[in-house]
Amino acid sequence: MNTIPIRHKWEPYLWLLPSLVLMCVFVVFPIGIVFKLSVSEISKSGVVKGLVGLDNFRAAFRDPAFGTVMLNTAIWVVSVVGLSTLLGFITAMALNAEFFGRKVARSIVVFPWATSLVIQASVWNYIIKGEYGNLNNVLLNLGILKNAVNWRASYQIEFAWECGVGIFVTIPFVAFTVLAGLQSIDDAYYEAATVDGAGFWRKLWNVTIPLVKPSLTVCTVLNIIYVFNSFPIIYTITKGAPANKTDTMVTLLYMRAFYDNQKGPATAMSVIGFAILCVCAGAYMMVTMRKEDAR
Amino acid sequence: MNRNTPAEVRRANGRAMALVLVAAVLAVALMCLPLYRFSAAVFTKKSGNTFVGDEKYQQVRAEVEAMAQEHAQRTGGAPQIVENVTERTNSKGEKTSMVAFEVRQVMSRTGWDFMFSGLPCGTFLMALVLCLAAAVGLMLCGLWKAVDVDWPELNPGKSVPRRLGAALGLIALLLVPAFMMSCNLCFTRQIKLATDGFPKPGLDGLLRVLDRFLYGGTAGEETLSLMTGVTYQPDWALYGLMAALAAFTLGGVLVAHGHPAATLQKGLLYGFVICLCLVILYPYYVMLITGFRSNAETTDMYFQHMLPTRWVWSNLSDIIGRGVPRYLLNSLLLSAGATAIALLCGIPAAYAMARMNFPGKKAFLGFVIMSQMFSPVVLLVGISRLMNALHLNDTVTGLMFINAAFNQAFAIWLLRGTFVSISSEMEQAACIDGCSTVSAMLRVLLPMAAPGIVTTLIFVFINAWNEYTISTVLISTNANKPITVGITQFSSFNMIEWQYLFAAALVATIPVVILFMLIEKHLAAGLTAGGVKG
Repeated sequence: MNTIPIRHKWEPYLWLLPSLVLMCVFVVFPIGIVFKLSVSEISKSGVVKGLVGLDNFRAAFRDPAFGTVMLNTAIWVVSVVGLSTLLGFITAMALNAEFFGRKVARSIVVFPWATSLVIQASVWNYIIKGEYGNLNNVLLNLGILKNAVNWRASYQIEFAWECGVGIFVTIPFVAFTVLAGLQSIDDAYYEAATVDGAGFWRKLWNVTIPLVKPSLTVCTVLNIIYVFNSFPIIYTITKGAPANKTDTMVTLLYMRAFYDNQKGPATAMSVIGFAILCVCAGAYMMVTMRKEDAR
Repeated sequence: MNRNTPAEVRRANGRAMALVLVAAVLAVALMCLPLYRFSAAVFTKKSGNTFVGDEKYQQVRAEVEAMAQEHAQRTGGAPQIVENVTERTNSKGEKTSMVAFEVRQVMSRTGWDFMFSGLPCGTFLMALVLCLAAAVGLMLCGLWKAVDVDWPELNPGKSVPRRLGAALGLIALLLVPAFMMSCNLCFTRQIKLATDGFPKPGLDGLLRVLDRFLYGGTAGEETLSLMTGVTYQPDWALYGLMAALAAFTLGGVLVAHGHPAATLQKGLLYGFVICLCLVILYPYYVMLITGFRSNAETTDMYFQHMLPTRWVWSNLSDIIGRGVPRYLLNSLLLSAGATAIALLCGIPAAYAMARMNFPGKKAFLGFVIMSQMFSPVVLLVGISRLMNALHLNDTVTGLMFINAAFNQAFAIWLLRGTFVSISSEMEQAACIDGCSTVSAMLRVLLPMAAPGIVTTLIFVFINAWNEYTISTVLISTNANKPITVGITQFSSFNMIEWQYLFAAALVATIPVVILFMLIEKHLAAGLTAGGVKG
């Protein structure tokens, strides 16, 4: 084992202490506050007045935007995680192949990951601006378009753009985690598969995917969490407009808590969000682990 | 590899060259067919104030019909008359209408028409024909006296011309979409800009050429107004041309080395990577050019340039006056502090997780993983209350601790992965020599783990630098804002100053992107090492 002897029984805990204290104060404590607030009555000025049971949850469910926003959140998470995983996987395969300029390509692919989401979202907001957006400008000047297109004709289209930006900024993360998995695969597997006469697709299905599955699992679970919690893209591009039609849960609870001064229902939404995340991430982990065991 | 006999090679080369020649002949033949079908107004006439159907209307209509007839006899086409009626009420309150008669005609133009028209788009077709001719010539050169030489044994004098020929075939294929784009510029974009009052230099020349091309020089002064209603559609021959050129390229590849599948695979790979890089770089290009444009140019829907007409460097000095240095300093403090705290707490924890066995280890790992689930956004209400209680609200210090805490999971994850990958033998030896565990870690492990620690450091730094959501809630004093929050003042509801927004965004982005490129190689490996072995 790669371990060193421990001198006292409590020594390891001493090593963990700073980290534990930091996380308890700044992560666990706010969680407690949120849970407590979700069952408390909060006055407009922010004073906690006492427990009210599930009133806040009832108010959250009665929120006129709640239904739309849950649907939006589902679309947002499924489309962004699904498509960015697919595209990220293809990108990783491409970046793992030998070609001229691979180093440069890898450096470029990392760009969106290194850029603040609020900056990315601002740029895309400018790109698709109706009258003078840069996308129309470039496509017209290159002659690809004949006439200017209104890139945000309806809120559905705007929401689709937001999903697109979400996918765009998520691809590098997926690509690099999968790439790490791909690089750790021994060439001998592929050689053996080639000897057995396997083509590209059979190799992909029977060698590559099973072997990168652990990386893929980790990155998908993390992605579900990140994407669910993602805030700046929607907040910058549409702010949920019109009438919360493009909000996801996170932006809605931000609006309710800090604009509409409904802290109670907002904390109830936070708790609902936790529950959903726990179920999704837990279910995904269980399914993949069971499959691993069955193999 | 199986060797091919000379006879086989000769036959294969013959087939491939036949494909090339047939495709080339087909392409040239398709150029003689109409590539584009135009529906254009040949002339217009306005009727003045009339009622549809009254005497004056009839009179003008008859005139227009006569002119259309005369035009048809001259050109052999079948013009059609279109009436555009505008209703209006005159000063006496009577409704009258203005009828604008338009005589439209469908006209086709072949590839050769385009080529010798003097239009910019014609040059693309000319280049295409030259490419084809050169490609055929090069391939014939490459085959000359080497028809039956197996591909691996070709000397460069024979193989290079063949490859060049195939490449020229591909270029010819790509020239077709370029030609279509250029047509859009000639027939729509330039005309639209001119009629909206933004003429480009050289417009008169273009209009003269267009007049000759579509109207045989009869439109004269009226070309611009006639051109505004022109619609056009690519004819099937244009798509046929693309297919022929694709076949030509395929033949070229067969002649060059006989493995089209491998070439296609490589081509798809390059195509994908190039498209991906272009899409990824596009927002950065937008940031760059917009950050150095003048305010008027950033919101100009008729802007005709891909680069700023004048690089406005004063945008940079303007944002200095708008508090950006202060925001950058705050961001730097915040990120450096958060990184220091995260590492000071994270390294011992990661060390214990990597090197020691103790009850509760799994539970702590589970806690670390779970803590990622709770993003600061969902906890915002709780965090802002906690910060109030600790009197850290609206301070950079408060942000430091929050960022450090929310990056603990990743820091421990990455560091543990690094530590686990390093053998503990040296530390064990140090321990036996009487070194304490702390000094064994500091003196033995940390120097060896330096790359992993630097990776973690940069990663946490960047996360804290790019953080936006908590800062926007917690910070209300302007002087305490980090850059991500500070730049949003340039895109407020009443006044959007894109040029300042993007100039500041550039300043905030470039250093971070460079840092990230430095750790790119280690980062992914660290992420999965930590995760998978957990």
